[in-house]
Amino acid sequence: MSISQAVEAAGDGSGSEFRRGVASCAPVLFGTIPYALVLGAQATQRGLSPVELSMMTGLNFAGGSEFAAIQLWTSPPHILLIVAITFLVNSRHLLMGAALAPFLRDLPRGKVFPALFFLCDESWALGLADAKRRAAAGITPAFSPRYYMGAALAMYLTWVAFTTLGALLGPMLGHVETYGFDMAFPAVFLVLMRGMWKNVAAARPWLVSLVVAALAYLLVPGAWYVAAGAVSGLLAAWLMAGDA
Amino acid sequence: MIGMATLLTIVLMAGVTYLTRIGGYVVLRNRVLSARATVVMEAAPGCVLISVIAPAFVSRNPADLLALAIIFVAATRLSMLPTVLTGVASAGLLRHLIG
Repeated sequence: MSISQAVEAAGDGSGSEFRRGVASCAPVLFGTIPYALVLGAQATQRGLSPVELSMMTGLNFAGGSEFAAIQLWTSPPHILLIVAITFLVNSRHLLMGAALAPFLRDLPRGKVFPALFFLCDESWALGLADAKRRAAAGITPAFSPRYYMGAALAMYLTWVAFTTLGALLGPMLGHVETYGFDMAFPAVFLVLMRGMWKNVAAARPWLVSLVVAALAYLLVPGAWYVAAGAVSGLLAAWLMAGDA
Repeated sequence: MIGMATLLTIVLMAGVTYLTRIGGYVVLRNRVLSARATVVMEAAPGCVLISVIAPAFVSRNPADLLALAIIFVAATRLSMLPTVLTGVASAGLLRHLIG
């Protein structure tokens, strides 16, 4: 179900808002499950027990940083290195939270802080795209907390369950990534970007981000490419806004 | 079953990750943004998303590049689920055929 169809199908009941969130997240899970199994399998090869891995994915819940941590894992781990890389990989959350902030203004902080624990690329993108669509359609409040929590909890439970399963099955799993499931992520993200599309001029910063992130990925080891691409795109947007 | 160094690493990872999650909201919650800052914030989601998937655009595997091109076209025409299914199927098939 696309986001627009989901919005049209939405009723007013809170339960249906939650279900609408879960349904929007379902296509994303195609990409998440194999990715989670791979992470679990890699973690056991690095000496983490299934309990330790499920603690990591359950408390941290940020896949990119967990992959980075597992790649860098030694026994005992280099704590500062892993924590610094975790911050670096997840620094994009700062931008994501900032983009979401205007939609969260009217919600009590007691709800926002727990909800933000479940902020990930997917729940954020779905929640923000949904809020923008509802705002454009004149629905208030634009941000639907139950829709967001539906998408976020579907993502959270899937992630923790399947990373743990990957750790338990461990070496029995072959190369899950060869079947094409990883391509679900570019597909999801490109559809979401089409929803954000305004015009060519507004999309120029995206091109800057793509080129810089791709170059950084090719030239610089580690996970710097996400930060490099995002920051240079924002800088381009800042400079281009000055021309207008 | 759980090593102390491992436990400490995991707890600190979770702590800094949560700080990144609440940081943008805490700092910008009560600010009114300038017109220029608004333009930048509107570009931000796309910049983050495209940066995360940028490695797919510079894959050395021709099957992956071809699948990405198919996904790109599909994403401009189809809704979420058909695009994802098209993407996974074409990547799986092309990797099998081309290698």
